[in-house]
Amino acid sequence: MEKSSHSLRNASQTLKVAFRSLTQHKLRTGLSILGIVCGVMAVMAMIAIGEGARQKVLRQIEQLGIRNIYIRAISLTDEQRRKAGESLSSGLNLKDADRIRFGCRHVRDAACLKVLTTSPLGMAKEISPQIAAVSSTYAELLNIFVDRGRFIADQDVARGNLVCVPGSRVVESLGAEGRLGKHIRIENLMFKIVGILERFGQKREDTSVMAVRNYDEMIFIPLGTIREKRDTDELTEIVVQVRKTREVYKAEESLKRIMAVSHHHMADYQMVVPQELLRQVQKTRRMFNIVLGAIAGISLIVGGIGIMNIMLATVSERTKEIGIRRAVGATRRDIMVQFLAESLMLTFAGGVFGVMLGALTVWLISGLGRWDTAITLPAILLPLLMSALVGICFGLYPAWQAARTDPVIALGHAR
Amino acid sequence: MIKLSGIVKEYHIAGDAIPVLRGIDLSVGRGDFLSIMGPSGSGKSSLLYILGCLDRPVRGTYLLDGVDVCHASDEERSRLRANQIGFVFQTFNLIPSLSLFENVELPFLYADGDDDRPVKERVMAVIEQVGLGDRIKHRPSELSGGEMQRTAIARAAVMNPKLILADEPTGNLDSETGRRILELFHEFHAKGTTIIMVTHDRAVASHADTRITLKDGKIVSFSA
Repeated sequence: MEKSSHSLRNASQTLKVAFRSLTQHKLRTGLSILGIVCGVMAVMAMIAIGEGARQKVLRQIEQLGIRNIYIRAISLTDEQRRKAGESLSSGLNLKDADRIRFGCRHVRDAACLKVLTTSPLGMAKEISPQIAAVSSTYAELLNIFVDRGRFIADQDVARGNLVCVPGSRVVESLGAEGRLGKHIRIENLMFKIVGILERFGQKREDTSVMAVRNYDEMIFIPLGTIREKRDTDELTEIVVQVRKTREVYKAEESLKRIMAVSHHHMADYQMVVPQELLRQVQKTRRMFNIVLGAIAGISLIVGGIGIMNIMLATVSERTKEIGIRRAVGATRRDIMVQFLAESLMLTFAGGVFGVMLGALTVWLISGLGRWDTAITLPAILLPLLMSALVGICFGLYPAWQAARTDPVIALGHAR
Repeated sequence: MIKLSGIVKEYHIAGDAIPVLRGIDLSVGRGDFLSIMGPSGSGKSSLLYILGCLDRPVRGTYLLDGVDVCHASDEERSRLRANQIGFVFQTFNLIPSLSLFENVELPFLYADGDDDRPVKERVMAVIEQVGLGDRIKHRPSELSGGEMQRTAIARAAVMNPKLILADEPTGNLDSETGRRILELFHEFHAKGTTIIMVTHDRAVASHADTRITLKDGKIVSFSA
């Protein structure tokens, strides 16, 4: 048919009629879409919460480094320590780092970190900075950036230079003393500020294995400049960077062998592989998606039944209108399209309200529950699409009923 | 223009076939004004619905401008109704949620539209013609019976159809209002539109050029 401008006009008229018929019974329309509204709201909130959790984990993993493997010292009890001594393990130390660096071909580099128990003097009370002695490669392996000045260099470690690189919060709390060239006093030593870290801005959130350090409240100094009592070369952590992302598991295997031999099979260290954590996150996510799908499916059916009910009522109420439209030239398909448009509009409106309420819910959840949430595009589009789909599926039968109405009977001609 | 031969219509009620039309043969020429009379139950409305392509006979043929419309598809019959046939009913049958203007505009939703004039202009022209130019925003519930029927006539005539079918168009109106409605039919008839009108009122029927009377599903009298 030659109906291009016509069908456009037709579509806008169809929508107008649908809109008017829905607004005529506001309460009824409102009640009938309640199921859809709730379903969409729930699905949207769940997507946002799931996405928030995922992004949080991804942020942490990103900070830990997808190519990195962490070897962390486990603080032993005296009993365990005695045994460790007997089996000649001397804890996590610099020799381990060297063995790893040169003993495994997958390893690109390794960095060492030792967290000191001491704290700097002359600090404001509200923060208690952590002091970490590191090797020069630490910043590069963990993507820590220096805002001004430089990070700890190789010579600093080699010569035992008394320099330090504080984080942004530390610098803030130092006030006028927190500038390049000034000094921070740690124990009896004065450490010259040679660099200041870029603001990192992450909230302090510690989860057991995924401890992410808050660099803003840290002061980095060269490894070996401060020797604490009862001190050996013990390290808190060795960060190993693997050459290629896909070699992480091979590297892990070979690191395990190296460490087992040098530590005489003593478990005084722990290996954390961020890539493995990512894998776990993806697994939980799959689970979450199944639950989400089930909820979406149920609310879809419940909401859809409400829509079908109301549409069937509408069709029988407007039998006469159907007859009139048929008399002035509407085909069965025209009638069908009209009622489908109406149920589609109905559920789409439900979807829009649902998304609005969903956004409010998400806002409340993240505000009151302090949960991480993220409203992404799929969190909006998916529920909308879902509601539209419900409109078409559950509107189909009522629309078909309307289309097959006998116009002669609809017009009130008694037979 | 219209040629009916051997039209039989029966309804099925509880499995029994109840005959309503028992073999109607009728020819209507272009520009005719025909009235169909008969007692209730004589089948006159059924005949009108068949003529209007809303219903199909059980047997017989109906040629409209030489085209067999009994065996045409829903699509084709709908197009005929949209472009060439206008209906006027006893109970007006306006859509209550639409304004007067929108009710008259309704056929444009489904018609092909071969006229280049803008829809709005055409709708307004026919509303003016039936004398309701100052009422276009009113809903049917705000109109009197006569105004509603004039709206219905405007709707039937807006596509400039070849054929207008009216089912007891004055049945629900007082005689003075009815007379004005009939004048409107005469106006459209004068422009060449074929008009077929069902009525049981002899005075109303007398407006037509040709009159037939149905009884028990058969034509029992024909007068021109």
